[in-house]
Amino acid sequence: MQIIVWIRDSQYGMPIAQSVHLVGLTLLLGTVLVLNLRLANVALKDSSLHWLAQQLRPWMLGGLAVVLLSGALIFIGTPAKYLASNPFRVKMAALVLAMLFQYGALRRFAAPGSAPGSRAVSLVVAALSLTLWFTVGWAGRAIAFIP
Amino acid sequence: MAEWFQWLEQTPWSVAIAESIWLFPILEGSHILALPLSVGMIVIFDLHLLGLTLVGSRARTVMTEMLRWSKIGFAVMFITGGLLLMCHAGRAYGNPFFRFKMLFLLVLGINAAVYQIVFFPKMPEWAGRVPAGAKFCAVLSLIVWIGVIVCGRTMAYQF
Repeated sequence: MQIIVWIRDSQYGMPIAQSVHLVGLTLLLGTVLVLNLRLANVALKDSSLHWLAQQLRPWMLGGLAVVLLSGALIFIGTPAKYLASNPFRVKMAALVLAMLFQYGALRRFAAPGSAPGSRAVSLVVAALSLTLWFTVGWAGRAIAFIP
Repeated sequence: MAEWFQWLEQTPWSVAIAESIWLFPILEGSHILALPLSVGMIVIFDLHLLGLTLVGSRARTVMTEMLRWSKIGFAVMFITGGLLLMCHAGRAYGNPFFRFKMLFLLVLGINAAVYQIVFFPKMPEWAGRVPAGAKFCAVLSLIVWIGVIVCGRTMAYQF
């Protein structure tokens, strides 16, 4: 558990842990963004959502793993600070909702051979998914600014 | 140059942004959350060139689609990054992480230009086989972008 103390107390521990968190964020939200843009029918229209989801899944889950692991290591150093933070609570709630919604939406819309639904529904689902994910990001950033 | 950075930090605009309770956090948040749109799209294209995702798609199509979105992301990056730099110009000037970040961005710019001049025109002839040189550009891009993120995040701890 030396790594937790190192992240919390050393000069470059926290910057490096935060950097890893951001590299994971880039990968996770980058792939999530592409899938939702495809669902909204504004990107990669030649490829099916089913195939795209299959191709991007390892990178999406990889990014999620990096974000969750680095996030847990940052959290565990000073748990009281985060548990008392309102933005942190919002972030965790949004994270759970975003993951559930993403999982449900992809299962419904990226099923093999699933017929393209109505455009309005696809747009709303894509917008909701992105709103949830970016709420996670903004709430995370707000931890540094709002009690 | 150093004097110019000092002057930039003290312009009324810079001071107003730096002292604003909301504007500075919003600029910083936008800068970070534009990462998936700017760098994320580049990363997916790089991974595709290396045969690690969107396998079987035409590289040319993936490039066009990804770059279209990443350009929007980079517009946000440069505007928010420029405004953030204004507020901290004097302190950023001598900061090693800031200097490495700028150096890395220069390397990435040259890398992208080389790709555009040497490999892009021949992409229609690839027929699924990506030349080693283009793969090298992709690996370089992935590594140096990680460097940009690390330097960018770390310099924020030093102001």
